[in-house]
Amino acid sequence: MKVKGRNVLLTIMTLCLSLLFLFTVQPAHHTAYAADDSLQKIKDRGSIIMATSPDYPPYEFQVSKNGKSQVVGMDVDIMRQVAKDLGVKLVIKSMSYDSVLVAVETGKADVAMSGINPTAKRRQSVDFSKIYYNGGQSFLINKTDVGKYKNKAALAHKKIGAQTGTLQYNLAKTKIPGATVKGMDKNTDLVLALKTHKIDALGIETPSAEAYVKNDHDLAMIKSGYKLNKNETGSAMAFKKGSGTLAAAVNKSIDKIKAKHLTTQYLANAGKYMKVNTNNTSMVHYWTYFAKGIEYTLLISAISVIFGVLLGTILALMRFSKSKVLKAISVAYVEFVRGTPLMVQVMFVYFGVGIIVNLPALLSGIIAVSLNSGAYVEEIIRGGINSVDKGQTEASASLGLAKGDTMRFIILPQALKNIWPALGNEFVSLVKESSIVSIIGVTDLIYQLNIVRADTYRGVMPVFVAMCIYFVMTFILTRILNYFEGRMKHAR
Amino acid sequence: MQDKPLVEVKKLQKNYGDTEVLKEIDGTVMPGQVICVIGPSGSGKSTFLRCLNMLETPTAGQVLFEGKDTQKFSEEELTTLRERMGMVFQSFNLFPNLTVLDNLKLAPIRVKKMSDKDAEEKAMGLLKRVGLEEKANVYPNSLSGGQAQRVAIARALAMDPEMLLFDEPTSALDPEMVGEVLAVMKELAEDGMTMVVVTHEMGFAREVANEVWFMADGYILEKNKPNEMFEHPQNPRTKDFISKIINS
Ligand SMILES: Nc1ncnc2c1ncn2[C@@H]1O[C@H](COP(=O)(O)OP(=O)(O)OP(=O)(O)O)[C@@H](O)[C@H]1O
Ligand SMILES: [Mg+2]
Repeated sequence: MKVKGRNVLLTIMTLCLSLLFLFTVQPAHHTAYAADDSLQKIKDRGSIIMATSPDYPPYEFQVSKNGKSQVVGMDVDIMRQVAKDLGVKLVIKSMSYDSVLVAVETGKADVAMSGINPTAKRRQSVDFSKIYYNGGQSFLINKTDVGKYKNKAALAHKKIGAQTGTLQYNLAKTKIPGATVKGMDKNTDLVLALKTHKIDALGIETPSAEAYVKNDHDLAMIKSGYKLNKNETGSAMAFKKGSGTLAAAVNKSIDKIKAKHLTTQYLANAGKYMKVNTNNTSMVHYWTYFAKGIEYTLLISAISVIFGVLLGTILALMRFSKSKVLKAISVAYVEFVRGTPLMVQVMFVYFGVGIIVNLPALLSGIIAVSLNSGAYVEEIIRGGINSVDKGQTEASASLGLAKGDTMRFIILPQALKNIWPALGNEFVSLVKESSIVSIIGVTDLIYQLNIVRADTYRGVMPVFVAMCIYFVMTFILTRILNYFEGRMKHAR
Repeated sequence: MQDKPLVEVKKLQKNYGDTEVLKEIDGTVMPGQVICVIGPSGSGKSTFLRCLNMLETPTAGQVLFEGKDTQKFSEEELTTLRERMGMVFQSFNLFPNLTVLDNLKLAPIRVKKMSDKDAEEKAMGLLKRVGLEEKANVYPNSLSGGQAQRVAIARALAMDPEMLLFDEPTSALDPEMVGEVLAVMKELAEDGMTMVVVTHEMGFAREVANEVWFMADGYILEKNKPNEMFEHPQNPRTKDFISKIINS
C-alpha cells in the first residue's frame, strides 16, 4: 500500500515539474533566440490581432449594430488607423482585462489595447508603444455627495474604489492619506459599489468618468488633482517582448494620429455610440445578448459532458487495469485536476498550450472543461463499477469470459445505468461551472452578462436576469433528466 | 468408473490474510460422479468450490484437472477450464442488463466464437430443456427465483461443460420452488454430468449423490455414501451437524 502511494506521488510530482518546465523554460528559450519578425509576421498574415476587454467605454465597448454585436470605441478606431497604415486587416479578440497582457505574451494576439497604463511593473513583461492618449485621472462620486467631496483632499480617510492592478488603484493607495482602497475586477461592479455607498469615491480615467456621468444622472465627477509623470499615466499598446519592429511601425502611426488630433474625433464617435446604446436599457432589448450566452453555455456544457464521460470511462478503466503505470497515470490525473481550480485549467489550456498549438478560445474552453469534467466523471464511473455486485464478475469469469468482455458487456452497462442520475448532476453543474470560460473571452452567459452591464450602465438588473436564466436552465434540465431516469427504471 | 479422475485435490490450503479457511483438503472426483458437500456455515464450502475453477487461487496444495495443475495454467488453459467446468450460484447471478436469451448466448459467442444463429439455436434448445422457452425475451428481474436458477443452469450448460459446480443452488429459493430446480439437476445427473453440489437437501443427496463430504474447520472430516453418512455418521461433529439439519 505504501509503495503504491509513493509511486503515485512521484508521478504527480513529475507531472507538476514538467508543467513548470513548459512554462518557465519554453518561453525564455523562444525570446532568447527568436529574431524580431514581429512586423513581418503580421504583414505575411495580412492581419493584426488586437486583444481587448470591451467593457471600458469610451475606450472599447460592445454595441449591437444592425442586429450584430460589435466592439467599438476610441481604441478600436486608433487600431483601425494603425492597421490601415500597416496595410493589413484588423482582427479583434475579446477577453477579460486580466487576460489581455497574457494574450500578447503567449502570442494569442499581436497587440493588447484596452486603455492600459504602461506601469513600470508591466514593462518588465511586455513592450509598450508610445502613449497614444492621456485622459487624466478623475473620481466618480454620488451626486448627493457633491458638496462633501469637492477635491482630492476631502477624500482622505475615506473608502476609495479602483480596478485591481490598475494605476488608479496604486494612486489611491499611495497618494490619498489614510484611504481604504477597495479593489474589484470591473468598473461596472465598482460603480455599483459606489451607488450603494460601499465606497465613497471611485478612481477612474477621465473619459470613462465622463461616460458614466453622461449616462447616469445619480453620478458626478471631480478631477483627481494628482501630479503625475505623463509617461506612466497615459494609455499605451502592449506587445510581446522583443517586438521592436512592430512597436516602431505602430509608433509612427501614433505620431500621425496625434499630429492630426484624430483622438478627439474618435472620442466623439464613441460618444455617439454610447448615446445609441443607452437609449433603451431594458433587458428585453438585450435578449439577443442573453440568447447567445445561453447558446454558448449549453453548447460548452453539452459537448464537455460527452467528452467528459468518454475520458472518465477511459480513466476508470485505466484505474481498474492490471498495469501499474496506467493505474498511476489515472490516479495522478484525477488527483491533479481535482486539486487545481477550473479557472487555472482554462487559462492553462488557452495560454499555456497556446504556446505550442494556437487554439481558439471556444475550443480551449471546451477542452479545459472536458478535461476537468473527465476527472470528476471518472470518480462517478468508478463508483458505478464498484456498485455492480461482485457476483456478476464471478458469474462472467465462471463462463470463461475475458476481463475486457466482462467489463464491456456486463459491468459497464450496469454501472452506467446506476450512475445516470450522478452523470445528470454533473451536466447540470457544468452548466453553472462552465461560466469560468468567460475569462478567456468565450461569449457564454457570464461574458454576455458583463457586456450588457457595461453597455447599459446598469449594475444589478443584468445579474438578476442571468441568475434567473441559470435557474430556469438547470431547473428544466433537472426535470428532463428525471423524466429519462424514470423511463429507464420502467424499462426494466 | 475405472476412468482416470477428472479432478484431484491434494493438500489444498486457502488463507485470507491471517484467516485459514481451508487447512488441508484432499479429494477425488471421477467422471460422472455426483458429490454433495455439506457442512456448517463458514466452514469453507464456497471457498472450496471456487478453488476448483480458479475463481480463487489456492494458498498451497494442488488442484489437478485431468492430471494437470490448474495453478500453472496459462490464460487460455484457464478459459478452457472454465468452459469445461460450469458454475451455478446461490444468488443466480444472471446478468440483469441482458435478456434471458442473451444471458445464454453471450459466452458461446464471445468465448466459443459460435455464430449468432448457432448460439441462438443452442440457447432455445436449452431453455426448452429447463421448461422456460417462453421466457427467452424477458429480462431476468421478471423471473421467479426458481425460474432464474433454471436459467442460470441453462446458461452454464450453454458452454457444453463436462462438469458443473453448484453452490447452494436452492437455499435462496422459496420452498415451493426448490423442487423444480432439483428436478433439473437430477436429470443432469442421470445424463451423466459430473457434479459437485454444496447443498443441505438431504433428499436430493440420498437420491442422486455417489458420495457426501462433510466439511468443517477447514478439513473434510468425513466422506461416505449418502445413506451411511446420514444414518450412521462416524465423526462426532458430523453426528451433531446431521442431527441439527434433520431437526430443523
Ligand atoms: N474474500 C474473502 N476475504 C476474507 N475472508 C473470506 C473471503 N471469502 C470468505 N471468507 C471467509 O472464509 C470463511 C469461509 O467462507 P465460505 O464462504 O467458503 O464458507 P461457506 O462454508 O460457504 O459458508 P456458507 O454456508 O455461509 O455459505 C468465512 O469465515 C468467510 O468469512
Ligand atoms: Mg457458501
